[in-house]
Amino acid sequence: MSLVNFTTREITCKIVYYGPGRSGKTTNLQHVYSRVPADRKGLMVSLATQTDRTLFFDFLPLDLGTISGFTTKFQLYTVPGQVYYNATRKLVLQGADGVVFVADSQLRQLDENLASLQNLHANILDSGVDIRTLPLVLQFNKQDLPRELILTPEELDEALNFRGLPAFPADALHGVGVFETLKAIAAEVLRKLSAADSGAHRV
Amino acid sequence: MTTSVVEPWAERPLVKYVEQAGARLVVVMTPAGQVLAQHGFTRAVDLMAAAALGAAIMASSGALAQQIGERPFGSLFHAGMRHGIHLAACSTPRGPLIVLTVFGKETSIGLVELFFEEFAAALQQAAPVTTVREPVLAGDFEADLNRSLTSLFRR
Repeated sequence: MSLVNFTTREITCKIVYYGPGRSGKTTNLQHVYSRVPADRKGLMVSLATQTDRTLFFDFLPLDLGTISGFTTKFQLYTVPGQVYYNATRKLVLQGADGVVFVADSQLRQLDENLASLQNLHANILDSGVDIRTLPLVLQFNKQDLPRELILTPEELDEALNFRGLPAFPADALHGVGVFETLKAIAAEVLRKLSAADSGAHRV
Repeated sequence: MTTSVVEPWAERPLVKYVEQAGARLVVVMTPAGQVLAQHGFTRAVDLMAAAALGAAIMASSGALAQQIGERPFGSLFHAGMRHGIHLAACSTPRGPLIVLTVFGKETSIGLVELFFEEFAAALQQAAPVTTVREPVLAGDFEADLNRSLTSLFRR
């Protein structure tokens, strides 16, 4: 749940990057980290295995600056994508204000994308949150790979995006689509704070 | 040293706890890693990383406790060469909270634990029972968001 401090006029929101293993969640955060000036970000924390697979999460705090008179901070998290790390995925999802689902565009990864999306729904349901009320955007990553290996954004939309959510083709390794995705989830999350029944914790 | 609070009710108990326990850094956070109050951090982004890690430690040790049929561990302590850390949970009307305390040689884990109990009781007493949910941002926030993100990414 977003934290809003009316005294100091600050908002803090938690965004979680979700998706199957090796879909590019950490790469998204690494690109953001590489592009943001030092005074607007904290250290990127990665709890990873010796082979650089995410073990618990990656974490990147960002200072977005002033929005509608509020100093706005975003906390970006990734979850470990590998199937057997579901317990840690559930922990990281706690209190998320928005989720980016990073799908791997490779044809041979379609089943993994579907399984991960179902797993996201199940974990959100388990945490007592109605998925229809949680801001969610999709990213179709690895669109830079050869055409014969991947599905097009339209095909992925057909397969994964049955709720008509905002979706963005991306090549996170080279930064394509990373900004657009972050902007979309930030807008979705902040839109909730501008609507009635915002879900923000007011103090 | 700086003390800042997101939720004003936490300030007085925090200031007293820092003085009594001789803590260098303290973060009061939700189980999701959202900071409610802090003492000793100068950069908000460093504070957020500490809170995320503290919440993660408590969450993972709690999950481990559950797996072995144990109740969630109330507190954890690690001693280093120059600093010790104490992580503990407490329940309040505001919901469960986690407190991360970093302390040096000028105090001890015994004192931190002693005064943490008083701190937890003070938080429980001071925390509000209800929360108010209402719109926060103006409807036209997107222009500000676009400007902020554009400057952030230097596009």
